[in-house]
Amino acid sequence: MFITDECGSSSTGFIACGKTLIFVIPRRVAHRGISLFLRLDQREIPHFVRNDKIEYFFRSLFSLWVLVLARTNPHRLKSKIPTRSGPAPLNKKSQRDLMRRYGRAMLLAFSFAALPIPAQQQGNPKAAPSPAPKRDLSGVWHYEGTGGSEPIAPDNLIPPMTPWAQAKYDEEKPGYGRKRAPGGNDPILQCDPMGFPRVMFMYTLFEFVQVPGRVVQFFERDHEYRSIWTDGRSLPKDADPTWYGYAIGHWEGDDTFVVESAGFNDKTWLGSTGYPHSEDMRVTERYRRVDRNTILYDITVTDPKAYAQPIVGPRRIMKLRTKDELLEEICVPSEEKSFADRVAEPATPKPTK
Amino acid sequence: MPGRPHPLLTYLLASFVAALTFSTIARAQAAPQQAASKSASSPAPKRDLSGVWQYQGTGGADSMTPDKDMPPMTPWAKARFDSEKPGYGPRGAPGGNDPILQCDPIGFPRIMFMPTPNELVQLHDRVLQFWEREHEWRPIWTDGRQLPTDADPTWFGYAIGHWEGDDTFVVQSAGFNDKTWLGPTGFPHSEEMRVTERYHRIDHDTIVYDMTVTDPMAYTKPIVAPQRIMKLKPHEEIEEQPCVWSLENEFAKRIREPAAHNPAK
Repeated sequence: MFITDECGSSSTGFIACGKTLIFVIPRRVAHRGISLFLRLDQREIPHFVRNDKIEYFFRSLFSLWVLVLARTNPHRLKSKIPTRSGPAPLNKKSQRDLMRRYGRAMLLAFSFAALPIPAQQQGNPKAAPSPAPKRDLSGVWHYEGTGGSEPIAPDNLIPPMTPWAQAKYDEEKPGYGRKRAPGGNDPILQCDPMGFPRVMFMYTLFEFVQVPGRVVQFFERDHEYRSIWTDGRSLPKDADPTWYGYAIGHWEGDDTFVVESAGFNDKTWLGSTGYPHSEDMRVTERYRRVDRNTILYDITVTDPKAYAQPIVGPRRIMKLRTKDELLEEICVPSEEKSFADRVAEPATPKPTK
Repeated sequence: MPGRPHPLLTYLLASFVAALTFSTIARAQAAPQQAASKSASSPAPKRDLSGVWQYQGTGGADSMTPDKDMPPMTPWAKARFDSEKPGYGPRGAPGGNDPILQCDPIGFPRIMFMPTPNELVQLHDRVLQFWEREHEWRPIWTDGRQLPTDADPTWFGYAIGHWEGDDTFVVQSAGFNDKTWLGPTGFPHSEEMRVTERYHRIDHDTIVYDMTVTDPMAYTKPIVAPQRIMKLKPHEEIEEQPCVWSLENEFAKRIREPAAHNPAK
C-alpha cells in the first residue's frame, strides 16, 4: 500500500497518483470495469478519472468511493496514466491517517466493491441520535452519500433557459454531464473561484461557526468562507457582484436556519455540468437540523434573467463530523498547470478519426 | 460597498509611485513613530482582539524587514534567493517570477505585510484570522494543543496561540511549505520556518505587532520585523478580494507585459 506524488501502478491491481489510491477490479471479476478508490487529501475524483467514462459513482461505507466505469477496461485506464517514479513510502502521519480513517474500510470495501450500495442506506442505523441543540449549527458537516459533487439538480429538473442563458450555456464546455467533453472551459480548471452556490455541491467538508451578528460558513474546498449576517440587516440593493455573494440569515423556530443571498457575479457555473446564472441570481437555503447529527439541506435558485422558473435542488443530507477539522485545500494555479501538463492532458482521449 | 480597483492593479500602481518617491526602508521606519504620538484611546478589553484591524501608515505593503536588516543567508537560501526575480526592491525588474503574479497563494507570513485589513474573531477554542487580501483565513488554536511535529506543509501553516497577561496574544506557527516568499523583494524560507507573533493590545484602538521568523535552514539568525501598529476599524467589514487567475492573466497580457517591454522612466 503506498501513495506517491507522481503516478505509479503495480501489477497487483492498484494505481496510485497524487495522494490517490485506486483499486482496480478486473473486468472479468466485475461485470463492468469497477474501480474503487480512496483519496486521502481531497474527497473528490481526480482529473484523470474525470475524463474517463464514469457511468455512476457513489461514496460507499467508511468514506470509500466506488466508481463504475462504463466501457472501460481498467487496464486501459492504467495504461493512460503516465507511470514515472516508483512508489514512495508514506510519511508517518499519512500512514497513521490512512489506517485510522480507512484501515477497516479497505478490507470491508473490498468485500463490498462489486455491490453498488445505494447512498441512502449508508447511514448507521443504530441508536436514535440525540436531539439538536437550539439555534445552533456549529460544527463540521459533510454530505451523506452522494449529496455533493453533483449538479444543483439533474438536467431534467433544470427549468427552461432564457435566450440569454441559452447563449451562455452553448458556450460552456463542462467535463461532466450530457455536454461533457475533454478540453473543456470550466472556470475552475484554471483555479478561478468556484463561487457560490457551486461550492455547495462539493464533497468536501463545511464548517459553521456562530458568533454574535453572523454565522461564518467555511468550505474546505478552495479554502473559502462566507459571512452570513444575522444582525438584522437586509440584503444590499447595490452590492458589488462577488463570487460568493452577500448573505443574510435568520432562524425559523429553533431548528431551521434560512439563508438568503444575492450580489453574485455571473462568472461562475451552477455546477460541474455547466448551467450559467446572471447577476440577478438570488439563492434561498434552508438548513434544518433535525437531530444532533443531521441537517436537511434545501436550496432554491431564482434567476428570472436566466431561467423561466426557480431551480429547486433535491434535498441533501449533511452529517456532523465531530472529529474532523478542515484542511487547507487551496487551488494553486501553478500546480494545476503542472498537473494539466503532466497528467490531465496526456490522459485526455484523442478525438476519434 | 464602494468599488475598489483590482488589488493587483493597486499593488502595481503603488509600486511605481513608491519606487519613484520613497525608499521602502524609510517608510518602514516611519510607521511606529507615528503611532506612539497618539495613544489617548480608551483602555483595551481584556483578552480580546475581536474586530477589523488595519496597519497604521505604511505598516503593510512592505517587506518583512528592510533588506539591509536581513540576517545572512545559508548557501541553501542564497541559491534560492538568486533564482528569485522580484518586482520590488534593489533587485526589482519587470518580468519577474513572484509566485503571486499567477495567483499562487501569498502564504503566511507574507500576507501580514499587505495594507489590506485583517479581522480577528474569537471563539472558545480558537481565534480566527481573516485577511481581506486573497479572501484568506487561518485558525489560531487556543485549546491548549501543541504544534504538530509532522504536519503536512501548507501555505498558511498551523498556528497555536495563548495569552500573556490580559493584553498580549502570542501566536506560534509552523508547518509551512517553502513555496512562498517572505515579501515582495523576495527572500525565501524553508519548511522548517517557525513564526512567533505578539499582538499587544495597548488600548482599545491599538495593537502593537511584533514578528520573529526563525529558520535555521535558511538564515543564520532569526529575522526580527520592525514593530508595526494596527488600528481598530470599527465601521469596516472584510470584503471579498480573491486573486483570480483568469483576470490576472488578462491583466498581464493587456498591461503588465507591454509595460515590461517599455519600463517607466
